[in-house]
Amino acid sequence: MTQQDKLISPAPTTDFSPWAEQDQEPLVQFRNVTKRFGSFVAVDNVSLNIYQREFFALLGPSGCGKTTLMRMLAGFETPTSGEIIVDGKNIVDVAPDKRPINMMFQSYALFPHMTVEQNVAFGLHRSGGPAKSEIEDRTNRMLKLVQLEPFAKRKPNQLSGGQKQRVALARALARSPKILLLDEPLAALDKKLREQTQFELMNIQEELGLTFLIVTHDQQEAMTVSSRIGVMRAGQLQQIGTPGEVYEYPQTGFVADFIGDTSLFEIEIVGQEGDFTVAKWNGAEAPVYLRALDDNPVDPAAKFLSVRPEKVTVSREQPTDAPNAFKGKVVDIAYTGSQSVYHVELSPGVTIKALDTNRLRLVASSITWNDEVWVSWRARSGVVFQS
Amino acid sequence: MMIRAVKGLTRRLPIIIPFFWLFVFFLTPFFIVLQISFAEFEYGQPPYVPNFRKVEGLSDFFTQLQMMTLYSYEILLSDNLYWKAFLSSLRIAAVATFFALLIGYPLAYGMARAPRSIQPILLMAIILPFWTSYLIRIYAWKAILQKNGFLNNVLIKLSVITEPLTLLSTPFAVYLGIIYTYLPFMVLPVYSSLEKIDPSYTEAARDLGASGFTTFWRVIVPLSLPGVIAGCFLVFIPAMGEWVIPDLLGGSGTLMIGKQLATELFNNNDWPVAAAVAVCMIVVLIVPIVVFQRVQERDQLRRQQEG
Repeated sequence: MTQQDKLISPAPTTDFSPWAEQDQEPLVQFRNVTKRFGSFVAVDNVSLNIYQREFFALLGPSGCGKTTLMRMLAGFETPTSGEIIVDGKNIVDVAPDKRPINMMFQSYALFPHMTVEQNVAFGLHRSGGPAKSEIEDRTNRMLKLVQLEPFAKRKPNQLSGGQKQRVALARALARSPKILLLDEPLAALDKKLREQTQFELMNIQEELGLTFLIVTHDQQEAMTVSSRIGVMRAGQLQQIGTPGEVYEYPQTGFVADFIGDTSLFEIEIVGQEGDFTVAKWNGAEAPVYLRALDDNPVDPAAKFLSVRPEKVTVSREQPTDAPNAFKGKVVDIAYTGSQSVYHVELSPGVTIKALDTNRLRLVASSITWNDEVWVSWRARSGVVFQS
Repeated sequence: MMIRAVKGLTRRLPIIIPFFWLFVFFLTPFFIVLQISFAEFEYGQPPYVPNFRKVEGLSDFFTQLQMMTLYSYEILLSDNLYWKAFLSSLRIAAVATFFALLIGYPLAYGMARAPRSIQPILLMAIILPFWTSYLIRIYAWKAILQKNGFLNNVLIKLSVITEPLTLLSTPFAVYLGIIYTYLPFMVLPVYSSLEKIDPSYTEAARDLGASGFTTFWRVIVPLSLPGVIAGCFLVFIPAMGEWVIPDLLGGSGTLMIGKQLATELFNNNDWPVAAAVAVCMIVVLIVPIVVFQRVQERDQLRRQQEG
């Protein structure tokens, strides 16, 4: 089996959504957890359930409290108030070495004076613990899991960044924790290796049937690896949902903007025209038409509209079928090879982003700077929210 | 051509200056001492037969060479007083280093674990004694330790003892003086290596199920070893040649090679023997100094690789 074959993730065999089932007992429960450092509120009244075998991602900009939340689960910080329940037991007062949880540190924190082997075996040595041969056996299995057997006798400073990351993973997994915490595990790797490692992490998680909690500021990473994402901002959980949910049904402007790319507009809902809700906006004289995905009425108190670039079509001719079609001028083009993002100015200071996949191998696109174009999107493509 | 030469000179200047300094203030005096150690003692000023003057021709060079004598070194070998003084110095330095480590490590550990904001104050407290002359501090110990000194008075007041203890002029006083004087040289490098340890190592060890003590023993101690080694050498090397402390706090029974050297020089006025003792001390101490530098270099290299 080649390296590449291993990277192909096995298709999920069943629909995995324990959070939607009534009788499922969560493995981890944060109950109204608050953490203050002096007057600074790092984590603000967070409640969150994480279920067995989940790959849960805490996503947010730096300083949003996601790392503090994770460190409280590991036992390095004590909540100012609230409970953390693991397996039905409140673990707030349990020392980190007594928790069934292991963490992979952002800096990896590999002991520099120990070999790879000794690092991995570190957590297995304890009084009344496994015998020497058992430790050796377990260490070797872990090294095999992360494909580092030939490096067993090396010191951490003789390894590459990717290899260090694997040692850290093997070391954290060696104790078979109930929950593995990953603190920005791939931040130090370059893009290609990061993407490859994401799939490896998913495979390992699936193979071992463990619960993973990952902290990251990289929305793409969170989307790729996780079963659910919790988006955090300023100590609060803004939204919890599957990658698809947080992407297609963002509940706030922050979530829409932080996950993926979007154009945000201020709107004011003025009325109803058949199936469509009509709103005034600053993009053009003409109103914008909205429609909810599930035929519920559009929230009449909505103040913001988000339209994802890939849902916007850009064309030279006026489209005839789309309810939302507006004329504008191309002010910027971001060409990334596979796709181009056009920044179209609709009215002074108001631009919308439209994504076009470069399906044809043309170096020069037919649409270029300062061209007059039409942008259009379906009424159901826009998402609205109050804040 | 000229410009190039000037350029070369300015580039080498930062290296030339310390070399020049070492040459003038270390190597030159050292060679003078070496030369005196090969001279013969005589009453006079200076108290040895001048054995080195301007060389006039090859035959004169050999004549001068024949004037060199190993007599002083023969004295060092034949009189076992010097041997004993050397061994005693080694032992005193080693024991003092051990106790300095025993006291200094917890001190440094406490400092490194203290809140960041008060660490500069603690550091200052360690350095503060250096603001007073070392000689004055040793005299102060003399006043503390003597028969009707501060310590005996306090102990009698507290009824711990009834009769004053003989503390001064004992080996205990010498150890106390050396440990007291050189403790900062142990604390500072140990503190600096402890303080550099990334707190995530401690957290990782705790996370992997290690108790507080196991974490300390298997992670903190090994990672602070470079500081411990540096501290031990910084205490051992000067303690080995110590003269003032055994002279002021020790009795006549305290043998130390530094004290012996001073006796030869000031009391016996025997410059050649004193010089020979000095040369032997340098030779003996060069071994630990070289080892120390090797360790430092290796540590630095490792740090560079990690960084």
